[in-house]
Amino acid sequence: MSDSPSSNPSARSWRDIPQEITSRAMSRVGRRRLTVRTMRTIAMVVGGLILAGGGFEIWRTLQDNPQKWTATVSSKPVRHIIVETDGVLNQVWVEETLQLRRDIGLRELELYAQRARLLTHQQIKSAVLKLEFPDTLRVTLAERSPVVRLKAQLDGPDLHVFLVAKDGTVFSGHGYGKRAAAKLPWLAGVRLVRAKVGFSALKGMDQVADLLSTARGNAPELFATWQVVSLERLARDGHILVKSSEVAEIIFGLREDFYSQVARLDLIIDETRRREVAPMRSIDLSVGAAQVPVAFNISSSLPPPAILVFPPCNFPSTARHFHRKF
Amino acid sequence: MIGFGEYQSHGVIMGVVTDFKAASDAAHSALITAEQSAGVKVDEVYLAQSDCHLEGFYNEASVSVSAADNTVSQMDIDTVCRLAKAKALPEGRMVVHHIRRPFRLDGKMVGRNPEHLNGHRMEVDYWTVHGQEAMIANGIHVIRGYDVWVSDRILSSLASGTMMTTWQDRQHGTLVIDIGAGTTDFVLYRDGTPLKTGVLSVGGAHITNDLTLGLRATEGQAEKLKIRHGRANVVTREKSDKVWLNGDFAIEDRQFPRQMIETITSARVTELFEIVKKKLGETLTPDRCPMGVVLTGGSSKLPGMADTAAKVFELPANLGALPPGVDEKLSDPSHPAVLGLLHFGLQNRVDEPGIRRRKSGGLLRKLFTVGA
Repeated sequence: MSDSPSSNPSARSWRDIPQEITSRAMSRVGRRRLTVRTMRTIAMVVGGLILAGGGFEIWRTLQDNPQKWTATVSSKPVRHIIVETDGVLNQVWVEETLQLRRDIGLRELELYAQRARLLTHQQIKSAVLKLEFPDTLRVTLAERSPVVRLKAQLDGPDLHVFLVAKDGTVFSGHGYGKRAAAKLPWLAGVRLVRAKVGFSALKGMDQVADLLSTARGNAPELFATWQVVSLERLARDGHILVKSSEVAEIIFGLREDFYSQVARLDLIIDETRRREVAPMRSIDLSVGAAQVPVAFNISSSLPPPAILVFPPCNFPSTARHFHRKF
Repeated sequence: MIGFGEYQSHGVIMGVVTDFKAASDAAHSALITAEQSAGVKVDEVYLAQSDCHLEGFYNEASVSVSAADNTVSQMDIDTVCRLAKAKALPEGRMVVHHIRRPFRLDGKMVGRNPEHLNGHRMEVDYWTVHGQEAMIANGIHVIRGYDVWVSDRILSSLASGTMMTTWQDRQHGTLVIDIGAGTTDFVLYRDGTPLKTGVLSVGGAHITNDLTLGLRATEGQAEKLKIRHGRANVVTREKSDKVWLNGDFAIEDRQFPRQMIETITSARVTELFEIVKKKLGETLTPDRCPMGVVLTGGSSKLPGMADTAAKVFELPANLGALPPGVDEKLSDPSHPAVLGLLHFGLQNRVDEPGIRRRKSGGLLRKLFTVGA
């Protein structure tokens, strides 16, 4: 019904009234609507710019070097497999495990299936497979490190050696030579249960790993004599039993920290060596710092010890190993 | 129609914004209600105008047909329209509507578009409605405060008249009077187009005010008496006939003489119609308005309104009825103006032959509408 302003230059129309008003003059609801509208406009402009930029880049690539575009989309057969790991597995093992066809193209690879194949080996904690065009597959592995070893029957009568990680995972231990595995103590007193893949994780291995790392780090000579770690009394009494070449049974408790117990053990062994008493049958470190019951092998030709129970001692100042360290 | 919202008006007296915040709050509340009811966002608004500062005048122009073969061209139409609208307004006034009357070619009416017709002299006249710039701007800014655009301002009387009359009524001649609370709008149709429009700063609120003074009642009591017992004509003969204010026999309940109520209300209604008649002057004659008077607006619900109108205008009068198919919730006489706005909004038409219709839609327009 209304006229346009241009058609009547002599009389002003209501359409000449500017409808733009400042946000301050708006009501709260109006300001909120304006903000939403402005944000939507900005989003549209930014989206448009991104689309335009992307389109320009594609256009420029096609104009400057069309081969580059086609080279990116068409892949070549896999020529290189680069393996990065924090453990001992190598490229040969990875290639054997993946079993890739010689002429398989990079884009043909089913990365999820290949990753699942790697993860069937319990030694691998995580695996990341990455395609690097045009012909490289990069495999990044995170491995479990062994704490102890054990022997178990798998399918036949033969006993196989397995390694056990800190999280209790039992795995075959590819890439660990006999010499490397021989440095680990044996694990006893556990029961292996078959799982869908390998064995179920063993309980209490985090405490064993804590004990062994404490002993290896603070008393390596002492740790070198440890042969067997047993968990048979862990669940019942909270004791970890260790058999060493010098003592038939060393009992560690969970109530006190392993550092103190290892220090006390080191002191006792040093003391008995110095006094040249009969070889020890057992040392019970689980009783506490007040007293350490030590049993000797009395059938030996050496004289029995003068002191059977060691009093509390300030071990860091008396034990040479620990005194040096602290 | 997918949504509807209404809110009690505040901050507006006789169609003029007097309290910007109160008027904004009321208008925005109505918009919010409408949006919630419809479930969509309102982007633009068609605003009804019922401001008492609006006035109108006639302006006529004529041109000789320029073509050698006397065929009317688009250029002739544009020229005569431009000349008819080219009249300067007083300072501070601006055009609200240019309502074009039918073209005349050699003195004979030719309807909406005379292009390609033969003749020597073409004439056209416009009814131009204009108002105070500041008051028009206030109305726009109230709406803009909600961050919606005012697409068009339409006279309330035109909006109501479009809904309450048929094409035949408008062609033969009819008078539509929309009696609101603060103002009364009227439009006289003839030959299918509005011949004259007007706004009076008198409405239903004045009847209430008269009752307040005449009966010494409060405004609330007067409003209640007007709705229950008010009439546009006096029918009660007995002076002793009294009505109760509430009828609940409570201590505050009072009695009022029925005849006095009717006398007060009918006097104001009669006066209102007489003012309209005076404003229309000689343009309103029985032969120019054979279809009579159509009454609408909230205050037209007063009983006896049609009888009084018929008596004053000496024309047949009746209460307007909405076209069939309108939702029952909107059939109240106070809603035709809104429905008329909706009608104009949907049509979105411009009655000028020389003016291109504004295109709606289009991705770019939508983009800029969103971003504006």
